[in-house]
Amino acid sequence: MKRLTQLRRHLRVILVAAEMSLRNNLTDGFVIFGIVIQPMIIALMAFWMLRDQGPDDIIYIVVGSGMTGLWTTTLFIGGQAISGERWTGTLEMLVATPAPLHIVVIGKTLANVLQSLSAMVATYALAGLVFGALPTIARPGWFALALLLTVPAYVSFALIIAPLFVLNPEVRRLQNGLEFPVYILSGFLFPIALLPGWTTPLSYILPPYWAARALHGASSGGDVADILFSMAMMMLSILIYGLLTARLFRRILYKARVEATLVRQ
Amino acid sequence: MGAEAIPDVHGHAGRPPSSCRPIVHCPFVAFYEVCFNFRMNTIEVQDLRRVYNASIGAIRRSRKEIVAVDGISFHIEQGELFGLLGPNGVGKTTTVKMLTTMLIPTSGRIRILGLDVVKDAKKLRPRIGFIFGGERGLYWRLSGVDNLRYFGSLYHLDPDATRKRIPKLLEMVGLSDRGEEKVEGYSRGMKQRLHIARALLHDPEVLFLDEPTLGLDPVGARDLRVIIRNLQAENKTILLTTHYMFEADALCQRIAVINKGKIVAEGSPAQLKSIVSDLSVIEVEIFGGVDDRLPALRALPAVDALSIENREQKQVLLIQSPAGAEAVSTILKLLDGVRVGKVAVREPTLEDAYIRLVEGEA
Ligand SMILES: Nc1ncnc2c1ncn2[C@@H]1O[C@H](COP(=O)(O)OP(=O)(O)OP(=O)(O)O)[C@@H](O)[C@H]1O
Ligand SMILES: [Mg+2]
Repeated sequence: MKRLTQLRRHLRVILVAAEMSLRNNLTDGFVIFGIVIQPMIIALMAFWMLRDQGPDDIIYIVVGSGMTGLWTTTLFIGGQAISGERWTGTLEMLVATPAPLHIVVIGKTLANVLQSLSAMVATYALAGLVFGALPTIARPGWFALALLLTVPAYVSFALIIAPLFVLNPEVRRLQNGLEFPVYILSGFLFPIALLPGWTTPLSYILPPYWAARALHGASSGGDVADILFSMAMMMLSILIYGLLTARLFRRILYKARVEATLVRQ
Repeated sequence: MGAEAIPDVHGHAGRPPSSCRPIVHCPFVAFYEVCFNFRMNTIEVQDLRRVYNASIGAIRRSRKEIVAVDGISFHIEQGELFGLLGPNGVGKTTTVKMLTTMLIPTSGRIRILGLDVVKDAKKLRPRIGFIFGGERGLYWRLSGVDNLRYFGSLYHLDPDATRKRIPKLLEMVGLSDRGEEKVEGYSRGMKQRLHIARALLHDPEVLFLDEPTLGLDPVGARDLRVIIRNLQAENKTILLTTHYMFEADALCQRIAVINKGKIVAEGSPAQLKSIVSDLSVIEVEIFGGVDDRLPALRALPAVDALSIENREQKQVLLIQSPAGAEAVSTILKLLDGVRVGKVAVREPTLEDAYIRLVEGEA
């Protein structure tokens, strides 16, 4: 009973935080660009390059460019999820309320992930406009399932990134440098088989890689066993990153309260 | 503004007045309180210290220790309004941040409502509220109402009760017709008013008000003082910091004056004023020059200190005197031939006491 109340409270915080985050983002030109415009530009360029190819490639690009947009927002907006609130003085307020900070951050990153996925849908419609017909999704059921798992996979990954950026300014400096390698390591726009063998383990620890593998597999008609395996790996990463998150948040918050870094002037 | 009852967020309509409730939910304590008319302290601060590690210099970074709070102890009883006064940068905000779980004390102990602020922060947070003077700490791109809804969820309040409570709170702080606008379009004082509404959203038992009237216009500041008095009537325990002495005098039952991280005096406003009770202040309005009379005035045994204030066409002689009214005739005799206006002898104010306390330390 007590657990249930607790869970309901957390869910409500997640929903309201997501709602407020959406309202906040919709007035931010930079965010709109990162979430909607940039992935569409990438997709349009790719469509143009591949305009003579078959429809298989089109869906691959729709999914791939959608994933790049998702990663960009996860990295930049998710990375800002906590540190941004230090500048506005709201982090201190959040910390002093009863809602645990990581629950709030789940809500905020959930909003970002959903926004980015809506950009993927927009790209899908754009492909329909450019090619005269909507690209076919080979296994729609599996695709929907994989998409459903992609949301928490990205959220849990963002939940690791956000506190790391607060904990260590050096990590923060790597932010720009992280954008492109993850595109490549996750096989968003071309398979990682094209990469040298030593990079493969790096791909495996990235939830975006498993998400891309499952989504590409389902949309382009890949092996069901492989889709299932990728989804299982997503679940595993959600579990691992989820467990790390609670510890990480507790640590950074205590440290910030000792070092007086909840606010930045 | 203000006096109307606001539906409480916890949803129980007929809650007993908090004055009848024991602070600690333990039958023995309740019994003890009733029998011995003894009140538990709601806030207990013991040997509290806070040191900041500030980095100085942009290029060659070196560390410097700043002792912001240097071993202070005080306690606040349930239902009491306690003032923390002191010059800029003496550690008031730092103290309030430790009390509200935002900062960990370097050493010392704080208990609020019987809970340790570090170990029991989680249990404590729903029961306390805070306002920090200034415009930060709000979501500027959201409307005032959305800010309150957001904080309502962060305090785990019932959504329906919150929806009903928000308009009442906005009315109380005079923002009724601006609630749907984005906070970025608010003036400084409007943001401060929104902070007040936010702090009261969850109907906390203990309130920390750090310069709550900062940036408010005179009417807004007066309205807030009415709100604070009403909260006190509801038996809330309140800690207030302010730079306005008349405000502290009018509101607080007890005051601690803090200077350079240490408490230099503590007591009721009347007790603090008694520090300067050996003096009266004689104010004499004069028109025209008196410079030639000043040396003789200063030489009077009944004159401790003398200063001149210029007010439009007239000047006012401010004379601190241990003799009080008895000195007036001697002073007026020396001012023979000068056009004299009103003469007043007044009691020293809290401000006079404060200035002596703070400057005596410097
Ligand atoms: N985050 C911080 N890092 C380093 N030093 C700090 C920090 N916050 C406050 N200080 C220092 O601690 C001391 C006390 O500051 P504090 O804000 O508590 O003063 P205050 O009494 O609230 O002053 P005011 O009346 O101006 O609000 C000051 O010397 C200030 O510079
Ligand atoms: Mg202050």
